[in-house]
Amino acid sequence: MTPDFVRSMRVPVLVCAALLGLLGGNLLLGQFAFPGAGYFEAALSGVMVLLLLFFSMELIREPPVIRFFGVAGFLWVAIMFVMTLTDYLTR
Amino acid sequence: MRPVLSYVAAALPVDIALEEQFTTKAQQRHAAKFGMWCWLITELLLFGGLLLVATVLRVLHPASVSAAATHLKFWIGASNTVVLICSSLTMSGAINASRLGLQTLMVRCMLATGGLGSVFLLLKAYEYYRDYQEHMVPFLDWRPYALPHDHASRLFINDYFAATGLHGVHLITGIAILLVLTRQASRAGYLSLHQNRIEIFGLYWHFIDLVWIIVFPTLYLVNRG
Repeated sequence: MTPDFVRSMRVPVLVCAALLGLLGGNLLLGQFAFPGAGYFEAALSGVMVLLLLFFSMELIREPPVIRFFGVAGFLWVAIMFVMTLTDYLTR
Repeated sequence: MRPVLSYVAAALPVDIALEEQFTTKAQQRHAAKFGMWCWLITELLLFGGLLLVATVLRVLHPASVSAAATHLKFWIGASNTVVLICSSLTMSGAINASRLGLQTLMVRCMLATGGLGSVFLLLKAYEYYRDYQEHMVPFLDWRPYALPHDHASRLFINDYFAATGLHGVHLITGIAILLVLTRQASRAGYLSLHQNRIEIFGLYWHFIDLVWIIVFPTLYLVNRG
């Protein structure tokens, strides 16, 4: 392994450690299920998705148009979830 | 003793061959990435629909969904999440090695990624087998369902199989492409002509990981309480 390669792996290794740590947090929450735990689990999973999206998939380094599309995809799914759940939760 | 810097001498020129429809190589790289992202977004919408069904079922029938979710193999799902996170790390290793022209290291990282993907599939197959043994496969007519009077749980389990099955199909496709790509990428001169293919495929692999990171809490985790 060259020094350049080792240097280039710093961010992926940190991201991997963070993802495993957040997963550990989620698994702990799953063991001590309490009212509202689902919100914390969803929040931790959201952070995991952002880490993957911006660092593993390198969205943070992409030109604006690719960043726009990447974020817009999730925004579109969020709109779908919010509108559907608005219907079911207010019936 | 094996030298630590065993790949120093293996650094090769890194570039892409310009296709005739592009003006510059930078434009070609950009177009390839943009195309991949557009496709991944359509995939995200596909999985989004399946996960929305699970969420709506949880809102409408929380008791039934909880009853069904307790039959899911939580620790197999958790182990598979660890496996995919590690595979993302090895894929990042392959991408970084390709950028530095370290072909041997890149190929090894790609093989490790494929190996971890295969471990995921084996664990998933075992999980499905256990589901079958426990009569938790409601769409099989010849197999009595474990919760016969709970129709909402039947819907949830069917959605579970649809979402995890679709994810599995993506992973099988990913491993197949990865193996072909690894074979091509191990040939001399590959990195000087097609380096960006490793990066484009890497996006797909990370996306498979990303989808599982959403699937795992949606199906396994939040429904346990």
